[in-house]
This record gives sequence, C-alpha cells and structure tokens, in this order.
Amino acid sequence: MSWLESWRRFRRRDEADAEQREELEFYLDVTTEELIARGMDPQAAREAARRKLGSPTLIREEIYRMNTWTFLEGLLRDARHALRMIRRNPGFSAAAILSLALGIGANTAIFSVVNAVLIRPLPYPDADALVGVFNSGELHGRRSNDMGFGPGLYAVWRESSEAFEEFGVWGQGAATLTGAGDPDQVHTVTVTQGVLPALGVQPLLGRWFSAEDDTPGTPQTVILSHAYWLRRFGGDGGVLGRQVMIDSVSRQVIGVMPRSFRFLDLEPDVLLPQRFATANLPFFEPFSLSGVARLKPGVTVEGANRDAARILQQQMPEDFRAYADEVQLRPNLRPLKQDVVGDISTVLGVLAGALGLVFLLVCANVANLVLVRAQARTQEFAIRAALGAGRRRIARELLVESLTLGLLGGACGVALAYGAVQSLKVQDLSAIPRLAEVAVDAETLAFALAGSVAASLLFGLIAALQCGLPGWVVGARGASLGLEQLRTQNVLVVAQVALALVLLVASGLLIRSFMALRSVEPGFTRAESVQAVSIAIPDTQVPEPERVAQMQADIVEGVGRLPGVEAVGLTDSLPMDPDNQNGMTIAVEGVFEPGEIPPFRRIKWVSPGLFAAQGTRLLAGRDFAWEDLTQRRRVAIVSESMAREYWGEPAAAVGKRVRPGPTGDSWMEVVGVAEDVYEAGADKPAPLLVYFRTGLDQPRQPGQPLSIRRSLILEIRSDRAGAGSFLREVRAAIHAVNPNLPLTEVRTLDAMYRRMMARTSFLLVLLGVAGSMALTLAVIGVYGVLAYAAGRRRREMSIRVALGARPEQVKGLFVRQGALLACVGCVAGLGAAVGLSRWVSSLLFGVTPLDPATYAAAALAVCGAALAASYLPARQASAVDPAESLRAD
Amino acid sequence: MPRRESPLQSEMVQGTLDMLILKTLVLGPAHGQTIAHAIEKGSEEVLQVEHGSLYPALRRLENRGWLASFWGTSENNRRAKYYRLTPEGRKQLAAQTSRWEELVRAIGRILNPAEEGRS
Repeated sequence: MSWLESWRRFRRRDEADAEQREELEFYLDVTTEELIARGMDPQAAREAARRKLGSPTLIREEIYRMNTWTFLEGLLRDARHALRMIRRNPGFSAAAILSLALGIGANTAIFSVVNAVLIRPLPYPDADALVGVFNSGELHGRRSNDMGFGPGLYAVWRESSEAFEEFGVWGQGAATLTGAGDPDQVHTVTVTQGVLPALGVQPLLGRWFSAEDDTPGTPQTVILSHAYWLRRFGGDGGVLGRQVMIDSVSRQVIGVMPRSFRFLDLEPDVLLPQRFATANLPFFEPFSLSGVARLKPGVTVEGANRDAARILQQQMPEDFRAYADEVQLRPNLRPLKQDVVGDISTVLGVLAGALGLVFLLVCANVANLVLVRAQARTQEFAIRAALGAGRRRIARELLVESLTLGLLGGACGVALAYGAVQSLKVQDLSAIPRLAEVAVDAETLAFALAGSVAASLLFGLIAALQCGLPGWVVGARGASLGLEQLRTQNVLVVAQVALALVLLVASGLLIRSFMALRSVEPGFTRAESVQAVSIAIPDTQVPEPERVAQMQADIVEGVGRLPGVEAVGLTDSLPMDPDNQNGMTIAVEGVFEPGEIPPFRRIKWVSPGLFAAQGTRLLAGRDFAWEDLTQRRRVAIVSESMAREYWGEPAAAVGKRVRPGPTGDSWMEVVGVAEDVYEAGADKPAPLLVYFRTGLDQPRQPGQPLSIRRSLILEIRSDRAGAGSFLREVRAAIHAVNPNLPLTEVRTLDAMYRRMMARTSFLLVLLGVAGSMALTLAVIGVYGVLAYAAGRRRREMSIRVALGARPEQVKGLFVRQGALLACVGCVAGLGAAVGLSRWVSSLLFGVTPLDPATYAAAALAVCGAALAASYLPARQASAVDPAESLRAD
Repeated sequence: MPRRESPLQSEMVQGTLDMLILKTLVLGPAHGQTIAHAIEKGSEEVLQVEHGSLYPALRRLENRGWLASFWGTSENNRRAKYYRLTPEGRKQLAAQTSRWEELVRAIGRILNPAEEGRS
C-alpha cells in the first residue's frame, strides 16, 4: 500500500464512508425484499435483515479506521481540543502566548539581522572567492592592517599575481554632477577595470569599464547606479551614450548597474574609472586605494597571501624593497566578507546570546505556567485515566497543547519581528553593515518555526514528564502537595533569576560604557546647536579660483550676519565622519631627515571662525585670519597631541614649521594649537592632526592656476540650528552670493556624534530591552511559583494560624522561600556573568568586564524584585481565615 | 424464516473469508449480497457469512488491490456496488488456494495418520 495512496484514502475517508453507508443500505433492502418474497411481513423482514447485518455503525467504523491514520486523526483532535482549552483559559493563554511572542519575536528579529549580515554570502556570484587585498605594515610606531595601493604597487600586483583571476583597486569620494538639471552632489566610487569583473555583477544596461577606460587620453566614461539612474534620468533606457559633467569633466554614460547591486557596503551614485599614468609610477604614494580580487578556482586565501608575499619580495624594485623591509610590509589578504562586515560580529554575537537567554527564560516561564495548569488539571487527568485514556495518550495531548501554544506564540512573534526589522531599517544605523539586506524572509520564517517547535517541545516535555511521573494519578481529589512538581518549579525559578542577572549585568556594563563615552569631551561643544551644510562651487559655474575664494568668504560673512548666529566657519570634513579621513605625510622642521618618509597625519582644511563655530578651544597661538587667506600665507594650526608629540607643550609649537610631503612644498608656520578632536570616535585616541587654511594656494607647478578646495562644509553655531525657518534663512544667505549652489548633506554636528555612538547605543537599547524582559519574566516566575505554593498550602496555613501562628510568621515563611530562591539564583547568575563577561569585554569602554559596582547593582535589583514578587503571595497566605479554609475542604 | 445456526460461523478463520470471496468472484463481478449468497450456497449453508466481517473484508481486499469496485445496477434495478477480481487478485487466489490445500493435507496427515500410511 503506497504512502500516497493511503494519504488519498485518508483525505477521501468521509466520502468513502458515505458510499459504505449506501452499500449497506442496499444490502438491507435486498435482504428485506428476499425475506418478503419468502413470505415474511415487511416489518419483520426488515428486522431480520438488520439482525443478520449486525450494527452498520460498527462496520462503518471498522472500515473508517482502515482508511485513516489513527495517529494523525488523534493529533487533529488534540489540536482542536488544545484550541478549546486555550480559548477557555484566556488569562493563562494570553500570558503564555505573549511571553512566547516576545521571546520568539526578539530572536527571530536578531536572527534575520545575523543571517543577512554574517551568515549569508555577499550578494555576488561565487562570493567565497572574493578577497579584500591589503598590506599590513608598521608606520611610525602604529601597526596598520589596511594599507592599500597606489598606482605603482597596483601595476606590479596586477602584472605578477598568479592567484588572482581578477584584481582591481578602488576608492570612494564625492563629486558634483552637472549637465542635466540642477547641480547634484554625488557619491562616487572610482574603480580600476578589474573591480567590476571581480565582483561579477553584470550591468543592467551597457558594459563594464574596459582597459581603454582606464587609460589616460581616451574619452572619459561613467557607470550609473540603478537608484541614481531612476532619480536623475527617470530610468531612461536611452541614457547610454549621453554626456554628463562630473567635477567639470565631460563623461559618457556607458552603463547602468542593476537594482540589487551594492558596492561592498557602499551605495555610490556613480562609478568612475580609475586612471593612472602608465609611466614612472611612484611607489611612495600614500597607500590609499583598497584592493579587491577574485581568486582563481582552487586558490585559498592563504595561498593568495603566499603569492602576494612572493610579489613583494621578488617583483618590486630595489628601493621599494628596502622601504618594505623598513615598515615590515606584509600582504594582508582576507575574505572580502570580513572587510564588509567588520567587527560587528561581536556586537551581534552578544545580542544573539542575550536574546537566546531571554528565549530560555521564556521557555522556563511558560513551562512553569503549563506545569501549574497541568497540576490544576490533575483531577481531570485522573478521571480520564480512569475512563481508559492511556498515559501516553494524555502526555501526547499535553504536548499537542504546548505545540499549539508555541505555534500561536511563534506567529505573533513573527509579526513582532517584522515590525522590529522594519523599524530597525528606517534608523540611520551606519553601525550595522549590510542592513539593507536584512529582511524577514523564508529563512527567517523557518527559524521562527523551528524556534516555536523547540520552545513547545522544551516546555511541553517538562510538563508531560512531570505529569507522566509514576503516581501522578494518586489523588483524584484533594491531592496533596506535589513535592516533585514544586522542586521542578523551584529549579526553573532559580534558572530564571540567574539568567536575568546575567542579562542585567551585561546591560549594566553597557550603560557604564555609554556613560564613559558620553563623558569624553569630543573636542567640540553643544553639537546639537551646530548646523552643517555642504556647499560645492563647481568650476563649470565659476572657473576662476579667485572668485571661488571670494564667494566662500562672502558666504561666511553673509551667514554670520543672520540673527542668532554665534559663529560660522568652513571645513572640508565634519568631526567623526568615518567616510572622510583625509591625510598626508607631514614633515616637521628639525625632526624630519631628508630622504626619509615623514609620518602620515590626519589633515583638515578650515577657515577662520571654524573653531569658534565648532566649539574647539585654542590652547595656544591664534586662529586663522582672513588676511592669511587673502595674502596666501603659509600657516598651519596643529592639534594638542601633535604639539605634545613634537614640542612637548602646546605653547612651544607656535612659530615652528611643518610641511606636507618630503620634498617640494615650502614650509608652513604653526600659528596656533587647537584642543584635540576625537575624529575617529570617542572610544579611539584623538589623531595627530594638522589644520590647513582654506582659500587659495600656490599651484603645485608654476604656470598652473591657483588651487582651491571647492567643496566645503559650512558649520554654523546657533541655538536655532535644525529649525526649518533657520535653514531657509541660511539658504537665502548663500543664494544671495550664488543662486546656483546646491545645498546638500544638511545635518547637525549632533547627528555625526550620535552616529558615532550608534553602535554602542544600539547595543545598549537592545540589551536594555532584553534585560528588562528578563527581569520581568523572573519576577513573574517567582511570583507564580510562590502564589501556587501559597494556594496549595492554604490548608496548612489555616492550621498554623488556628494553632496560633501570627500573620507575620506565615508571611515570613513565604518571603523566606522567595529570598532563598533569589539568593541561589543570584549566586548562580553571578558565576555565569563572570564566566561570560569576557565575551562583551571588546565592546566596553572605560569599565572593566568585572566591574564590582555593576555586579552589585544587578544582584540588588534582581533580589529586590524577587522579594517584592514573593511578598504578594505571602500576604495572601497570611490573610487566610482558618475557619473558612478548613470548612472548604 | 429463521436460518439454521451453523457452529462453523464463528470459527471461520480470518483469511479464509478473503480466499472464498476471491474464489466467488472468479465467475464474474458481483455485489456484496451475491457474494455472501454464493458462499453460503456453495458451502451448502455450512458456512454463514457474517456481514459484519464481509464488508470490511471487501474493503481490505480492495485496498490491497486484489479487488476493484464499481457502481452498477442490480437485478432489480437498484444502484449497487460491484466487485471484480483484478489480475493481482487472481494470482493471490491461486497462491492462497495452493497454500490452503497444503494446510488441509498437513492437518489431514495428523488427524488420520493411519489412512495416510495405508495409502
């Protein structure tokens, strides 16, 4: 009998039964007729026929059973029964389903994040073969693992590598696009020809960059992102071949990438070809371009690293090899995914762990609930057992009930998770890479289903095993206190208290880290009242550098006159902007030896007034002055750390000289020292920083026009920052100088600060939620078990009271039990927390993983909550009226 | 007319009924009533077919694919369910018959060893 066949019969079993009834009817009729023909009267004939047939119902039942899967049939019946029980106990069911929904929902949401960010491969074909190509080296005492490529290094690697199928280098930036409507600030990614083939994503329209596109002297080209193509060109299919101006270079559109394409974790508007001069490539340029490669089939990351080491040792020119030895240059190739995902795995791991604990807590809690109810139903089970229900039958029913509860909770949980993921995605959480790929998808649903079933089995089994214990039918009536059952409940409660404590300790440590981060003075003040606006003056509009300088000065002056503006200044990048970390090699007069490569320092360009607008104090010397700009003085300001590094104290720096690069540029006089700004985030040391002034500079080579930074950010200090009316006035002031300037990236400095804190605060909020959920669940658990015990021991209490026990004594009995449970739980939880603390240590700042204050506070909170939870049932128990209680039994 | 109660009725071995049903259907399709009659007549009323077992047996045989059923019209123009032998059922009948005969001979040898020896 095939499986399929029997399934078909199972589905047709009611139809078959109807046929059977007809067949039996036919038999009855025929037999009756026969008997009548033999001379019986109709009534008697019918009776005789019936007697001969026996009970038609029995026959039909027998055949029905033949057609069915008894197990499945029973399961369906149990499920229906379970739904009835759930409806009949709304309080219990709501508590159970709600806790399950929270537990499963939280875990499903975090799973969808973990799955998208960590587990799933990058969205490129055969993504495991992709590697990020970098070198590591020791530059001026600091080890860097992310040294990239310059043109010379890139050319040699591309020629010599035996491990790469495709290889290219890329960098990101910003540009102004003109030529089709308003000028537009666009995010760019500049790639060499090998990058897109390495990623392996075919363009939606057109083609990839070719080797010619990389060669100077050929027409300039551009590939559009899908989103930018829609936004700027309305998804025009005829866009290929059109010319657009990008930073005043006319480029032909040669391709459009598909909608799903993302460049690693970036979403550039346009892709530009990277062009290097072919001859005399310098090797000592800053290693600023990142490499990406697709490995040949069968080549491992280790193999590729060995091949790269071979190139470094054998293929590079002699003078480069000497330099490489000096900085201990080693290849550092790693899976590209690691590059994209970064160190978020620790954060997500901690979160997943925390929510996993909450899940266990939920299971413990629901197990407790189910247990309590199963005990309340002991009488029902006893009667049913007496009527012939097998123990296995009852255990199965309990399991099915749990499963039904679990699935209902899971369904609600999925809805919760969906809401959580949606709200997560609308946040500006740059702290989480690949967030755009996060979705509640089939894998997530499968996870939720598995979670529901696992939870059901977990608490269902506990309940079923408990009720399946020998002797469970002992008391059909007036059952005595089940010690076994109470013991299980106590264990569950202790586990809950311990888990809650672990989570509270974790969130406590995070809160301390957060406070420590907040207390770091970032080098700017009242960030919420600093308005930032990007302005770029394209040279298609204003070709003359002198006019650009004048406009920038006019804009600062015009905006400075607005009511409520305290200070205004221009800079090339905001503090704590991870996308903008410009730097140069900076030689210090007297320290720098000719022939060596000076250290790489962070560089910012600022105008007069910027420090005032930003709230960065000057420790020595003076700010830049507008005369510095108009007279093109070679002046610089250094940060406090920089001054201390070279000259011991800030005041000593004034009057010293620095210059960019080992050769060429003339010296610049240090005129001031500014306090340190935590450019890379409050948790990282402030970088050694050199500020250049904005405005005109002498050309690099004689005969060329003066150079000027055209793309700058206006920082405005005002209490009206962020208000719509204020922005309109700022816009009007800027447009009074030049009506064609686009204003982009309008934000407050506070937004940058919050973005920097995002990872910590994200973790903090979620751990906080997990911790408070855990505490609530533990409190409910303690309350539940004590309230249950109080109910069961009502009679005992009555007797005690009748024999003269004072209410306080009775109360104390229960509170003591609660305190005992809490203490045991706390000890266990403290042990677990100490063991798990090194897990979060990398996420902490300014607090040790074993911070005693945090541990003490968490333990106090848990104990206090547990005691409060045990007080209520204790009062109930002590309020018993002996006479009434004894009479009731 | 009350029938004579046969002592064999309740002793009809499970499996035997199956074989008898198959045998009856060798002659052609029939409905339940006819099959019961045929068995009773054929055994000269020694074997009484209990309908409580007949219909489940029919269904069992059908599930195994030894019988096929169809709705037809009876002698007195009524809708009735007919059964016919499938090729598989025919094979089963042959197999069961030979096994039955073997069984009967074996039992016979035990009950009448003398007769066996004499022949």
